[in-house]
Amino acid sequence: LKMAAEPTREWSDEQLKSDDLSKKDIIKFLQDNAAHSFLNEHKLLGNIKNVAKTAKKEQLIIAYDQLFESKRFKGTEAVEEVTEKVKAVKVEEKPKDVKTEVVDEGPPKYTKSVLKKGDKTNFPKKGDTVSCWYTGTLEDGTVFDTNVPTGAKKKKQAKPLSFKVGLGKVIRGWDEALLTMSKGETARLEIDPEWAYGKKGVPESKIPPNAKLIFEVELVSVD
Amino acid sequence: MKTAGMALEQLSEVVQRCQALPDDSYTTEDHNIFTVAGQTCIKEGNSVQVLSIVLDEKNQEIVRCMGWNLLPPLIQVLLKKEDKNLPQCLAIFNHLLETCRPKELLIGLLEQLEQDDPDTIAESLHLLLKPLQKVLVRLGGRKASSLGMALSSVLDQVAKLPLPHTKEQEEDDVFSFCRCCTDMIDFVRPFVQEVRHNLLNNVMQSETANRTVGRQGKDKEDELRTELLKFCMKSLSHPLLEVHLKEPDTLALSPLRTFATEILNILGSIGESLSSLVHQPLLKRKQVPGFLEEVVRYPKESLASLAHLVFVHHLAADTFPTVFSPVFSLRCNIEHVSVLLSRTEESKLQKGLELYEKSLVRVEDGSLRADLLEIKTFLTVPQRTKGLKVFQLSIDKFNTEAKYRFFQYMLKTSNHSGVEGYIIKNIKNQIDIALQPGNSNVWFEGIQLMPLLRKVLILPDGPETDLLQYLDRVMESLNLLRYLVIRDKVTENQTGIWTELYKVEDMFMKPLRVGVNMSRAHYERELQNTMEAKKSKAKEESVLSVSVGGEELPSMTPESQIQALHSALHTFDMIESVLARIEELIEVKDNL
Repeated sequence: LKMAAEPTREWSDEQLKSDDLSKKDIIKFLQDNAAHSFLNEHKLLGNIKNVAKTAKKEQLIIAYDQLFESKRFKGTEAVEEVTEKVKAVKVEEKPKDVKTEVVDEGPPKYTKSVLKKGDKTNFPKKGDTVSCWYTGTLEDGTVFDTNVPTGAKKKKQAKPLSFKVGLGKVIRGWDEALLTMSKGETARLEIDPEWAYGKKGVPESKIPPNAKLIFEVELVSVD
Repeated sequence: MKTAGMALEQLSEVVQRCQALPDDSYTTEDHNIFTVAGQTCIKEGNSVQVLSIVLDEKNQEIVRCMGWNLLPPLIQVLLKKEDKNLPQCLAIFNHLLETCRPKELLIGLLEQLEQDDPDTIAESLHLLLKPLQKVLVRLGGRKASSLGMALSSVLDQVAKLPLPHTKEQEEDDVFSFCRCCTDMIDFVRPFVQEVRHNLLNNVMQSETANRTVGRQGKDKEDELRTELLKFCMKSLSHPLLEVHLKEPDTLALSPLRTFATEILNILGSIGESLSSLVHQPLLKRKQVPGFLEEVVRYPKESLASLAHLVFVHHLAADTFPTVFSPVFSLRCNIEHVSVLLSRTEESKLQKGLELYEKSLVRVEDGSLRADLLEIKTFLTVPQRTKGLKVFQLSIDKFNTEAKYRFFQYMLKTSNHSGVEGYIIKNIKNQIDIALQPGNSNVWFEGIQLMPLLRKVLILPDGPETDLLQYLDRVMESLNLLRYLVIRDKVTENQTGIWTELYKVEDMFMKPLRVGVNMSRAHYERELQNTMEAKKSKAKEESVLSVSVGGEELPSMTPESQIQALHSALHTFDMIESVLARIEELIEVKDNL
């Protein structure tokens, strides 16, 4: 492993504040150089465009400063440090006085690997109608569902599945994942049972209890 | 009276005369003579001669115009099956099917479908569906409305047949009902293929921007699709909603299950996705004119039947996507359940219950949120379930807040002591859960609990409350109060009962004590009267009538009446003992 040299601070405060430096530039630098946990804490993870939408320039300047103060660059965090942080999160006490039932958000219960990039422009919003081709398998490879036509005969009559995304009509893993996909993207989703069919499963459809589901999804269109 | 010979002569005569004429100048009389003479010949067994007349090349115009009138007697012969004229009649029949005008043949054939007794109905259907199909195919692009008419008649006829209910009845198929279902599927098959083919072509054309079907052609295609959709929707209602489908492990080969599956497959072939149909109730009613049409096109009962077939019998499961969330499926299905539970037929109520239970079971306990209760059906459907098992299941699926609101609603609207008692028992369970370490929630303890408890710890009519009528509710309320007094420490007062106790004493315990005493006095009096009347029964044969609370008890033997009165008194003892126990417990705690 080639250890990268500690990055140097290129921009002064004036340069940071000026209009010549865009938010995206700062974000790119931070994403390239800061440790994962640093980015997580400062909400800098993810697609640069999206981060740019949600982060204010002042926040980014502060983050930039803090990075050089704390020196939490990529590759500086020991594995033990990370595990300590994870332990700490678990032990955290739940607040006693709760007005309504707070849904414990926690980390996303699915992972996504992009197999084919989308146009990175058309991302669905909650309530949009999306259409997808998909194939669903269990961890052992059993295909429990697909709408991809097989064989020449049925090919043309098959239609992609259409539904309104983000409204709880589909399993949570799908709702969450599709909002991160852009038109044309094909992704492989691995969804934990909590965000799929949980303890019950769907026996009639060959999904056992506590099953992790794997979907290959192609987002065809967004309306 | 005509003799056989005479009819044949007349037939030959009119045919010969008409040979020379162009077909548009046949007179009404010509038609009539041909019809009467021809029918008589067939009835009298002269089919050989009729066949040769009908096959004669010179007569084809005549046959084309008038031949269809021969259908009634021909079909009679064909139905008899043992007639020696069968082969000739069959030959005439087949020739007519190919030669005469399709529209007229259609009318003739449909007329012969109209029968009254089940045996003839089944036999006519079995005989005539293939010919009908042939004729409709001949109509080409104009077939849609005729197909609709035919399907309507066929379904009407099938509706007259007795349904098989048991596995044996389905196997024996004494009334040939199952055979008719199979025949119907065979009948529609080519038309389904045609629609499927058209849809594929449309897809391909839109991809290549090469429209070969004109506007009018497209309308005709839509009409055909619509007629098949109508057929499926009707079938879903009858017979499918009335028959009880057997599972594969009960009956491996079930014609009815096959029929149901085929109907679902047809829907898929004509471009109706099953998931869209199941999710129909949630369709936003945007276009008002279009909406009415939607209701007609997709009758609610038919969609409910479809949901039942998919979710309870798992038919066509491989075409139904496995990505929808169980809560969403429940949300859609509860509308279907509501439709079924609003019917009176036992089979429909049963299916409603099955669909409801199946949908509930798939949802995790405690996962339904309170905002779902804004949807009316989530409040009304649980109440209409017969049997506590499914009622309890629906409660279990609500989250804590939703349970709270549901109990509130039920206490307010149910007006049924048994149901109320059951709800109160549930409230007690929820309080018990809330009081366990780690389960603390805001609904079943603390400030929120009080309003709910106030609705429980009260006598509906004060001291005059009919304790026997409200027994379930009263006993559960007492059980709950006793539980609270034992479980909740005065020093902790997690449920708030100790601060409310003075009100509970006023609104519940004191009036109850008064009520119990009053009722006991009244029943003891009645008991005495009855015993005395029994003694003097030997003297008079009078009809004993006992009235309680202004209502007469149904006339029973004196022994039964005495038993009933004893039982009532025993009940008051029971109420009183619980009440006394509670008062005891309160005193103990007060003195701590």
